[in-house]
Formats: sequence, structure tokens, C-alpha cells
Amino acid sequence: MLRWFQRLGPESRGLEEIHVRFLQMLQDGRHIFDAAANSLLGGTDPEVIREDLFRTDIRINETEQRIRREIVVHGSIHGAATFPALLVMMSLVKDAERIGDYAKNLFDLAILRPELGDEEELTHLVEEKDRLSRLLVRSQGLFDSHDVDAARVFLKEADAFADRCDAEIDRRIKSTGKNEATLVLCLRYFKRVMSHAANIVTSIVMPVDKLDYYPGKAMSEQ
Amino acid sequence: MPAPSPRSQPQPQPQAWPPAVYAVRFLVVVVLLYCFLVAIQLLSKSIGLMGADVSENFFEGVENPFAGLAVGVLATVLVQSSSTTTSTIVGMVGAAKGVALSVNAAVPMIMGANIGTTITNTLVSMGSVRRSQEFARAFAAATVHDFFNVLLVALLLPLELATRALSETGTGILAGTAEWLSGLFYGGTGAEFHSPIKGAIESGFDGIVGCLKWMGFRDGWLGGAGLMLGIVLTMVCLFLITKTMRTLISGPLERSMNKSLGRSGLIGILVGAGVTIAVQSSSITTSLLVPLCAAGVLTLENAFPMMLGANIGTTVTALLASMATDRSGLTIALVHTLFNVTGVLIFYPIPVIRNIPLRLARGLAERAARNPAWIVGYVVGFFVVIPLLGYLLFRSAPS
Repeated sequence: MLRWFQRLGPESRGLEEIHVRFLQMLQDGRHIFDAAANSLLGGTDPEVIREDLFRTDIRINETEQRIRREIVVHGSIHGAATFPALLVMMSLVKDAERIGDYAKNLFDLAILRPELGDEEELTHLVEEKDRLSRLLVRSQGLFDSHDVDAARVFLKEADAFADRCDAEIDRRIKSTGKNEATLVLCLRYFKRVMSHAANIVTSIVMPVDKLDYYPGKAMSEQ
Repeated sequence: MPAPSPRSQPQPQPQAWPPAVYAVRFLVVVVLLYCFLVAIQLLSKSIGLMGADVSENFFEGVENPFAGLAVGVLATVLVQSSSTTTSTIVGMVGAAKGVALSVNAAVPMIMGANIGTTITNTLVSMGSVRRSQEFARAFAAATVHDFFNVLLVALLLPLELATRALSETGTGILAGTAEWLSGLFYGGTGAEFHSPIKGAIESGFDGIVGCLKWMGFRDGWLGGAGLMLGIVLTMVCLFLITKTMRTLISGPLERSMNKSLGRSGLIGILVGAGVTIAVQSSSITTSLLVPLCAAGVLTLENAFPMMLGANIGTTVTALLASMATDRSGLTIALVHTLFNVTGVLIFYPIPVIRNIPLRLARGLAERAARNPAWIVGYVVGFFVVIPLLGYLLFRSAPS
């Protein structure tokens, strides 16, 4: 009997459903990032992954829209009590959706079948890709667990990753000789994907008004 | 990297209540429902205690149907709840023979209550007034309910009056059908329906009257005090029932809202009716729809059936109130139900007719979004000035 009353639904149940849907979005984003990056760096035929990649991206976009609708419904019914959590989620779905967008950008590069440099350079890129993929998985886990200490460690690593990408881009742009635009763009997309994953994790350690901003960094550096 | 400020901790999500809390809240609703029924009987029987002369004067001003309609609108605008108005009317109609408000006089008042209740969501739509596109959607969602109710009254009130004039018994088509239906429940004219619930309500009534007598109230004063207490208690109980139920069913409410976004009309009607029956307030349901329309997650076409459902769902309050009265009380409560069900049957099935209130609402909303004078003119004129003038003009006119 008492369970029946509980099934009437607590205030937080709608938020829990949004939370689960959001985790699915992150998982989908990581899946198509891996698929697109492997096609670009590992040589998988882009046509083999095309259908799955676009279907997953559409699912990500639809989930984003669904979550936004549910946020409005939840806010209308529950009022101010859950407003901070709703505002956070409203911002984060955009980040999760953008990871899917960048995966598509990587896929577009893979279709061009570009020359990415010598063996050593390619190995370095693959290592960075693997590192990023693992960070994406960790960002999902952190969002789910809300582990503040682990989130701070993650954000440090994300910051270091972005710095490495920036340094490599600078070096490539300054170097002369072959056309390295594709490589530069690839690094640029890695950096953006990392930024969005880090933005998601900022929700664990930053207040609502500072979402997407890293702790300790000046506004001009963001 | 410096340590983040203390306020940068994760936002805690609201925790689920233990089941016992739900059980207690549910019990509170049952107690409030009982108090509500006692309040209805209190105001119903207090009219009899005031005496025939006083009650005749009391209801004189609403014998004219247009004056009654205006009073229905004004009373509901004042208390912001058609459930309170209709329950009070049920109590007044269900008073003892010779002192009660007649069913014929109450029918336009019930129709007026339907119109007056829409002011709440019109006021809710003002929240978006600074953003024109959003406001246009919100205002259209709020006023589509107004247009539907006004068009329905414009159709059914003349029909009721015409059939009343043609009928040998002096009863209109809505009141006549409701009387027939209430006869089915009571098993024949003049029969008295007794139930354990009614017995419990009478005990509560006796207790309150006993208290009033102990406080020194006698005769007409006892009736007046009972009537005032009955009205106040009705308002308080309905307010608390709505508040408690809204919290209690917030989970299912959210899930049904999410599921009904973009679904077919029938589901919308069922969701609107179900939510309104649960929270005992159509204003709550329709006011929830306004921000959803404003945000663009719900279209006007999908919100409209939910509003129609809310119109049907709100009639359950008057039906509940009739449990504390006699057959006349049930008859007027059924008039309310028939009126709103007929409205859905007239306006929803045929797309051309369905589009009439939608187009009118969109047209007004576009004008209001461009020029705020329309908003002020509409709210003050439609909900205050016109009903007030209507009452002043028609209160002395023959019925």
C-alpha cells in the first residue's frame, strides 16, 4: 500500500528521467566520436559507419529536444524548487549535442581520405584520440556520480589536453612546407570535443552562473 | 587552479518522500473533502435558517438570466475558482424548498462561472509580456479557453431560454436533461437519498451549528453566520485540496503532460480531464499549459483539447458538492457537466468549427503582442466592465 503511494511519483522522478536520457546522449556522442575518429585515423571505410553515425546523431538531436521539452514541463509543474537543476541541464544538453556535431565533422574529414603525415605523427594522433575517448567515458561517469574531487582532477586533465592541442596547432601553423590544414582541423575538433566534455564536468564544481567556465581561469582565457 | 567557492558544490536533487508521507497527505485530502462537503451542507441549510424573506431578497438580483450570467462571471473572477462558485451555487440550489435558488436562475450563473475562471490563465500569460513572440503564443493559449466558453454560452444560453419558454414545465433543455438524469440517480421525484457519507456530513453540520448556537447565534443571525462560514470553509477546503493534490500527483502529472505533448486530441481531452479531477481546479491545468505554449513545446492545437478536458474535469467538484445536498443540487451540478460535454461535442469533432476559437485567440494575441492596450482593454473590459454593466442593467429586468 505504502509503495503504491510512492509510485504516485516524487518531485525528483522527472529529473531522474532527464538525467538517464542525458547519459544516453553522452554515450551516443562518445560512440560516434570513436567511429568517426577511427575512420579518419584507423582507415575504416567511412561508408561502413555512415548510416550508424547519422542515425545516432539524429537520436542525439532528438533527445536534446526531448530533454528541453521535459525541462519546460518539469519547471511549469514544480516551479522554483528544481530550477537550478533545470538550468544546468538546459546548458549541458547543448554540450552533449555538440560532441555529436564534431564527430560528424571528423567523419567529413575521413571522407576526404587526407594524408595525415608520417608514421610517428599518426601514432601521436591516435594516442590523443584514445586519450580523448577515455576522457569522454570518464565525463559520463563523473556526471552520474557527481564526484567533486574526481571532477577537479578531470578538469585539470582536460585543461592539459586543450593546451597540448593548442601547442600542436601553433607549431603546425608556423611550420612551412606541406599543407597541414586537415591535421590542424582534426586537432581543433579534438580540442572542441574535449572542451564540451569539460564543460559538462564544470557543472559539478561550478555554480550555475559559471557553467562552461573553468575554475581559476580568467575570463579572457576562457 | 584555485579551489572553487563553496557554492560550487553540485546542485542537490530533491529527494523522494517516504511512502508514509504520501499516505498522510492522501489522508489529509480525504479529511479536507469531508470538510468541503460539510461546508456545502452548512451554506445550503443556512439559507433555510435565514428565512424565506431574506433568501428571496438574496436571490432577487439573479433571477434575470443575463444578470445571473454576469454574477457568475464576477463571482468567479473575484475568487479565481469556478469550483468554488459552482459548489456554492450547488449548495444554494440544494437548500430547503421555498428558500433555495431556483435551477433556472442557477443555469446562467454556472455558465458565467465557466467564463470567469479563464481569467487566471490570462493573467499567467502576462509573465511573457516582454517577449512578443512568446507572449503571442501564451496569450493565444490563455484566450482560446475564453473564446470557447463565450461561444458556447452564446450558443447554449439562448437555446436554454428558448426551450424554457416553449416547455410546459418551464424547464430548458439543459436543466430538463439534467433533471431527468438526477431522477435516474434518486429513483423518482421527491425521493430522499441516504448514505453513510450523508450521515457523516450531517453530523459535521450539527457540530458546527451547535458551536454557533453556543456562541450566541440564533434565528436569522445563525443562518447568516452559517452561510458566511460555509462559503469561507468551501473556499479554504478547495484551496487546500488543490494545493495538496497538486503536490501529491506531481509525478503522474509530469509524466502525463510529457506523454500528451503532440498527441491526438482525445488523449489531450482525457489528460486535461484527469488532471483537473485530481487537482480539483481547471485553472491549475490550463495555467500549466500557458507556459508550455509560450515556450513553444506545446502547440495551440494540442493545448485546446486539454483545455476542453479541463472544462469537463472541473464539473466533478460540483458533482461532489451535490453529495451534501438534495436532488436539485445534483440537477444543477449535472447542468454544469452537460454544458461542458456539449461544448466539446459541438466544438471539437469538426475541424472548421474547432478552428473558430483558435483563430479568434490567435487574432487577439497578435494584436495584444503589438499593442499592450489590447491586453488591458481585454482583461478589464471582458472580465470586469462588461459583467458589471450587465448585472447593473439586467438585475431589475424581468426573468
